Amino acid sequence: MGRRRRSRSRERGPAIELLLQVLANGVLLGGLYALMALGLALVWGVLNIVNLAHGALIMLGGYFSYYLFTATGIDPFLTLPLTMAALFVIGYGLQRYLLNLIVRAPMFNTLLITFGLDVVLTYLAQLLFSADFRTINPSYAGAHFNIGSVTVPLLRLLAFALAAALTALLAIFLTRSRTGRAIRATSQNLDAARLYGVAPRSLYALTFALGAALAGAAGGLYGMVSQITPYIGAELTAKSFVIALIGGLDNPLGVLVGGLVLGLAEAVGTLYIGPTFDNVISFGMLVLVLILRPKGILGRTA
Amino acid sequence: MKALPFLAIVVVTGLLAIVPFTLSAVMIQFGIATLLLATLAQGWNILGGFTGYASFGNSVFYGLGTYGTAVAMVQWHLPFAVGLAIGAAVAVVFAVLLGIPVLRLRGHYFAIATLAISQAMAAVISNLDIAGRNSGLILPLIRGDVMFYELALGLIVLATACVYWISRSRFGLGLIAIRENEDAAAVMGINTTWYKIVAFALAGVFSALAGGIHAYWITFIDPHSAFDLLLDVKLIIMAVFGGPGTVFGPIIGTFLLSGISEVLSSKVSGVASLFFGLVIVVAVTLMPRGLMNVIGKFRRRGWRVFSDNIRDNRV
Repeated sequence: MGRRRRSRSRERGPAIELLLQVLANGVLLGGLYALMALGLALVWGVLNIVNLAHGALIMLGGYFSYYLFTATGIDPFLTLPLTMAALFVIGYGLQRYLLNLIVRAPMFNTLLITFGLDVVLTYLAQLLFSADFRTINPSYAGAHFNIGSVTVPLLRLLAFALAAALTALLAIFLTRSRTGRAIRATSQNLDAARLYGVAPRSLYALTFALGAALAGAAGGLYGMVSQITPYIGAELTAKSFVIALIGGLDNPLGVLVGGLVLGLAEAVGTLYIGPTFDNVISFGMLVLVLILRPKGILGRTA
Repeated sequence: MKALPFLAIVVVTGLLAIVPFTLSAVMIQFGIATLLLATLAQGWNILGGFTGYASFGNSVFYGLGTYGTAVAMVQWHLPFAVGLAIGAAVAVVFAVLLGIPVLRLRGHYFAIATLAISQAMAAVISNLDIAGRNSGLILPLIRGDVMFYELALGLIVLATACVYWISRSRFGLGLIAIRENEDAAAVMGINTTWYKIVAFALAGVFSALAGGIHAYWITFIDPHSAFDLLLDVKLIIMAVFGGPGTVFGPIIGTFLLSGISEVLSSKVSGVASLFFGLVIVVAVTLMPRGLMNVIGKFRRRGWRVFSDNIRDNRV
């Protein structure tokens, strides 16, 4: 993603139309960004682990969807629950049998171990899936429609809608269900939650598994709107991180806002400053947010 | 320091200084790369190990040293030594300017802010004409691996001497106090901001010098290799593997891990990175406080030291 071309037909068009198109692109991209960051923010907020392997999990989700699609030909949106289930299982195992062993170690240890996981997953993927670019290409991949002068690609719109729906679902799960409340209680005060009968081992595993499942969904969608290689993980982790930070770790809706902010900032920045600056924009924003608003734009962080 | 260990260190350093005259070219190159990496790990150790501020962006200093030296030599035709000094000076200025806002952040936030700054710097450099934009700079070619080896060895000795001084001085105790409890340290009258900035600048100087030497040795630099995220993580792994907050841990960690990864990539080149990742995962799980810590406890606890570590940190 990132380096999108300006829409072909609009080079001579009035500047305002170009801007509208860019804003539309930014919003659509931002929704997907938000879904990418959702799992990272959840795990960070509850477990206090910044999961550097999050992007690698997104990558795995992308490959899982890709192979499901090429093997069965079933619409990739329909197989997305399967991808999520697979990543849920992987995530549960990782947290239950590995990360639980070191959650209370000094902070850089969790960063390092997830980085190690990222390396392992990346090179495992290179071994298993080769380094070729893959894209999930359903028959309607090129379809689009127009609202006024703005072109809306169907696939991106669907991806956006699904991302928004999953965000809302997670918000409802966390506030309404018993398990969701246990997760939030744990993120606020582990000892108090324990006193109320929360078993942290399995709850941590469940939380991480949920984060991984969301990463899987993001990966499936990413594979439809962009290209998958074993190496996309690091950049996606970094973007997820920026978003989680902008949005705060409290509330899935904050993450959605963070995703939109980053999507828009990248799209507009690419247009007015130039495509080689898009990393300066996202990382510059990150540093500014950290220094000026260390609690996130919309409230509490961990 | 007691006489015997001190003598041992002098002997080992002396031996290391002589070996390039007897080794093959490949081994010397491995030696240079490892010594420079050990310097970076040692630099990280000052802030990450002693002060408890885990920077994930020390490559920003490495990169500034690289570019400071390269720009001075290529664009202004200055000698190498002057280039190194310029690189180091830039790193210090940057450490102070950057340290004032960024060192107010703690924990994950500091880690990520430094990471972001290093990546943003890569992007800025790749848009600067004087730094050769994306295509980088080519430095004048010089043959002399032995010279670079000795330079790198001198640098790591300097860095380690500095860390040794820190470990015994009032300044170092102040840093450790900040690591253990920053608010308490401030109450005790330690000027925490100033201490942290000095530690940051020291880390910056050594990283920048390593970057400058590396640039002239490799003779080609570009933004991607100068501000490499992988390098950031690598040097932390080296330091943490050996033992953060110890004098020799980072060096031992670097030599062990570099050796392992060198052997792996010659024996099983296809899956070397995979194994390296596994080594990190296993090492962090079994010895979260580093090799030196394990060695220290091993005498009393034997192999149980690993299960102790896991019991201490699991949920």
